[in-house]
Amino acid sequence: MPKYGMTIDLDRCTGCRACMVACKIENNTSQTAFWMYVFRLEEGTFPDAKVSFLPRPCQHCDNAACVKVCPVGARYKRDDGIVATDWDRCIGCRYCEVACPYGVNYFNYKDPKKGQYMDWKDPDIQVATAGVVPGWSNPDLDNKFGSENRSIAGSNHIKGVMEKCTFCVQRVEKDMSPACVDTCPTHAIQFGDLDDPNSAPSIAAREKSGFKLLEDRNTQPRVTYLGSTFSPGAREIERPSVRE
Amino acid sequence: MMVLKVTRRDVLKVGAAAGALTAASSLFVGRMSTIRAVGAPKPDLQLTPVEEWVPTTCWIGKQDCGMLARKIDGRVVKFEGHPANPRNQGTLCPKGQGQIAALYDPNRVKTPLVRTNAKGVQGKFRSASWDEALGIVADRMNEVRKRDPRLLIWQKGRSKAKAFYDTAFVNASGATKLHHGAFCSDAGYRALEYTVGTHAVMNPDFKHTNYLISWGWNITNAGGNKTCWLTWNQQLGEAKKRGIKVTHIDPRQRPAGPHADEWVPIRPGTDLALALALCNLVIKSGTIDEPYLKEFTNSAYLVKEDGTYLRKGEGDEAKEQVWDQASIGPMDFGKYGNDPALTGEYTVDGEKVKPAYQMFKEHVAQYTAEWAADKCGVDVKQILQIAKDLADNANIGATHIVDGVEIPYRPVAIMTYHISQTELGFQQVRAQTMLMMLMGAMGAVGGTMSDFTWKIHKNFEGLDNISITDEPNIYLKNSKFYPINSNNSSVVAQVMTDPDPKANYGVDYTPEVCIIHMANPMTSFLSQKDIYDGYMKFKFVAVIDPWMSHTADLFADVVLPAATLEKYEGPISATDQYIGAQTLRVPPMDPLFESRGDIQIYLDLCEKAGILTGEGGYLDEINKKLKIDDANKIPIDRKPSGERELFDRWAKSEGYEKGVEFFETESVNITGPVSPTKRYGYVTEPPFGGAIHRLYGESLMGYQKQMKALGVEKIYYQDYTAFPTWRDLTMNSSPSEYDMNLISYHMIEFKQSRTSMISVLAELAPKQRADINPAKAKEMGFADGDEVIVESHNAVTGETRRITVPLHFTEALRPDTLAIPHHYGEIARHPNSTGQGDTPNALFFTGKGYTANTADQSFHVKVRLLKA
Repeated sequence: MPKYGMTIDLDRCTGCRACMVACKIENNTSQTAFWMYVFRLEEGTFPDAKVSFLPRPCQHCDNAACVKVCPVGARYKRDDGIVATDWDRCIGCRYCEVACPYGVNYFNYKDPKKGQYMDWKDPDIQVATAGVVPGWSNPDLDNKFGSENRSIAGSNHIKGVMEKCTFCVQRVEKDMSPACVDTCPTHAIQFGDLDDPNSAPSIAAREKSGFKLLEDRNTQPRVTYLGSTFSPGAREIERPSVRE
Repeated sequence: MMVLKVTRRDVLKVGAAAGALTAASSLFVGRMSTIRAVGAPKPDLQLTPVEEWVPTTCWIGKQDCGMLARKIDGRVVKFEGHPANPRNQGTLCPKGQGQIAALYDPNRVKTPLVRTNAKGVQGKFRSASWDEALGIVADRMNEVRKRDPRLLIWQKGRSKAKAFYDTAFVNASGATKLHHGAFCSDAGYRALEYTVGTHAVMNPDFKHTNYLISWGWNITNAGGNKTCWLTWNQQLGEAKKRGIKVTHIDPRQRPAGPHADEWVPIRPGTDLALALALCNLVIKSGTIDEPYLKEFTNSAYLVKEDGTYLRKGEGDEAKEQVWDQASIGPMDFGKYGNDPALTGEYTVDGEKVKPAYQMFKEHVAQYTAEWAADKCGVDVKQILQIAKDLADNANIGATHIVDGVEIPYRPVAIMTYHISQTELGFQQVRAQTMLMMLMGAMGAVGGTMSDFTWKIHKNFEGLDNISITDEPNIYLKNSKFYPINSNNSSVVAQVMTDPDPKANYGVDYTPEVCIIHMANPMTSFLSQKDIYDGYMKFKFVAVIDPWMSHTADLFADVVLPAATLEKYEGPISATDQYIGAQTLRVPPMDPLFESRGDIQIYLDLCEKAGILTGEGGYLDEINKKLKIDDANKIPIDRKPSGERELFDRWAKSEGYEKGVEFFETESVNITGPVSPTKRYGYVTEPPFGGAIHRLYGESLMGYQKQMKALGVEKIYYQDYTAFPTWRDLTMNSSPSEYDMNLISYHMIEFKQSRTSMISVLAELAPKQRADINPAKAKEMGFADGDEVIVESHNAVTGETRRITVPLHFTEALRPDTLAIPHHYGEIARHPNSTGQGDTPNALFFTGKGYTANTADQSFHVKVRLLKA
């Protein structure tokens, strides 16, 4: 069984947010839900200001606080390390959202189809997409995954259910990398089996020192950041649309 | 908790319904056997949808990254980067990922439209058939072509198939072409064409460069020279691993972010001052490549006191003279065995002469580091550090072997591009080029490159031999105002609205018909007021665009709906500067709605206008431009079956046995490494294509003399000087209350008119903003997010312009500078674009003081902030 994990090289990241868009299209998330989020940060004062970038997917923690608090076992840790959400089972209590220190959980307050960006009722679009909403709807998300055969890819984004980054389980089970990894223009994000010394993240992690987010929480993330750090006092700039 | 329990019950109900819906939708969407996860139910074979991966290319940026479209039952569901394309290596930027939302945008122009109301206000349109709409455009075109072909204008934005648009249509129709270069980087193009002969600006040889000056290069947000942002950043990433040092010269730090080692927060518009001071420092430090300067530049040419070269012989036989140190006397430049002097003063036949280099050395001596620090508003230590870094890294005299070829090795480079669009842009980029020339770094390994291969553009000679005319065309080509001319649509607008263009510009006609192809001058160009007034003068405007641009909304009589990326276009170079490659855009699906591919639109339009077939017709011009061989020539006596046939013939002519099918299946043809003898100027045959690089600009000085004689104002001729020469910026004579410099910039999310309405991109950058230093804002009593009025002032005319915009605090910006991004709100009446805010183009001015001497647009103006 692979031990999936990710490295994000902050020296290579340009903060372009291609990963955010790739994630949205791949996973059909609704407006203002960013399973992958890129902070654009700034610290210091002119002329000693410093700009930096911090992509933030789910950290897929080995000691995941969200898993511990889920009252119905909808949030669980797979054998390969992916922290998954079974949307058939989620009751939308949002305990995971409170427990997670990284803010990766997005709750579906409304029928997400209403948040799918465009007027999909437009009759001409309906002709082009056979009435599917959104037009880029990914059928893989309907599948059940893993030996446990559970619905964890976030399909339909049902109202009242919690969702978050799945490491693109639908791609990983096809031996593809998550959408954010594949699209990253500067190859800053690497994904693979951390037990395999020749996997991309293993190689990247050997090349430079790294750190994990909020290590003192003992959440034991599977995401390792490489290269430059940023100060806790960094301010966020250039924020995208936020949830209503 | 009670609420949650209620929610849970509701969710259960919804969940049951949703489950049913899921089952129902799976009939349409299905589960694919190829991707079925472990344990998923076996699909009904009859319902198994078809998954296809179809190659195509991105359509938004300038480099057309390779893509694979994933299709499910004919529906595109995702674009992935094409792994074989050298330019993007399987990756895509946010725009590449997001354009699927452009494809399915229900707010695209779906059918041809014909205007039903007056121009200049929000348009009202009725749907029309293609036949009717094309007929109207063809009739109007032909009516003016018959009368006077100069009355027909064709305007493009970023051209994606130059052979089919810029060449074939323009030649077949006889239209005058307008383009976007004067609003992009053309002052840099003109500077390099004139100085070293290459048709591009400047970029590093990333595999070998050790010290890079990122001069206004927006590393994290926008493309540099020749390719998009994505390719350069991949190469920068590798160079950083190698240890390249990057100095970022820019009023904003945000463009470089963590990728610069040094940030030099220069005052906007003073880059020429810094470049001249660096030339001075480099000379003083002796970091000079004398053999290069003597052999490949005009540095040794002897210049007389009147500023012209000392020549021997008459007319075409006249030879420029150098001072031969062996024979101690003048000698023809380039004569075998001579060792020309670069310095000193000599007397020939009683006339005092100096080598051009000596003159340059004397010229830049006035530009000290301290002087530049004052002009540029930066710490003098930073300027000295740049000079030291250049000296430490230039490796004068060293060579490096690339693929078996020994080549001079000067691993110092500049990346500069859009920053060329300043009032002094042409001379500024010339000075930057000369800085690299002093060290022999142009075209050296690790040095400064200017194109993928070292080719000499016809403008190297052309710009040196301009015959100034009294009767220029509508963009004042070869005129006494802008002898070197980058074709600026705002200047066109000013001429068109002038009360007496004949008397004031020598232009005795007013164009009447304008075909605008994928350009949005009203929003993307400036100045908006001039564009509005000028474009109102057109009697007929046709727009080819997938969206209702503001230009179309205000001025179009007919809108022809173009497809987005669902069309054939090209041919497209896919080189990353090291690997040669070629690709085509092939449609991942049929054009949506009633849109058509742009080339198809030209085929149809030319047919209607009677200029499709026959010699000199559209098809003939395509054959000529694409050099299609006899066996595959497009028959010029009939309309081809469509775009695909044209590309099939081209591809077969190029040696692709399968024709266009090659690109439909393989996407990209990798032709192998670019040979060093094509790439590095020193080792092309002949070296540098035979061009003798112009440190000294004799012809520039000559143009100034002619301009003076023809009686134009100083503001036009003052920058036609043999050497780049600093002068204070016109905008600085605005009253002192206009105490901030406005600059503008690209964001990674948006590009031109193709993006701000894309939902998933608009979400990332929801609203226009004006970046400001917090201390400066607080001093004026403003808080982060406050709406303010930004008022610009024209130092020549006194005109003021205003927009209202919220402030965005950032410490990574000079306190005297306000920065507003481009490309918000480009599309009219689009739900994603409406309300995004105003473009900074509403604040900039064009014309005197705000265009360079090459008619290139400046993106600098003095502004003040007022309470909204």
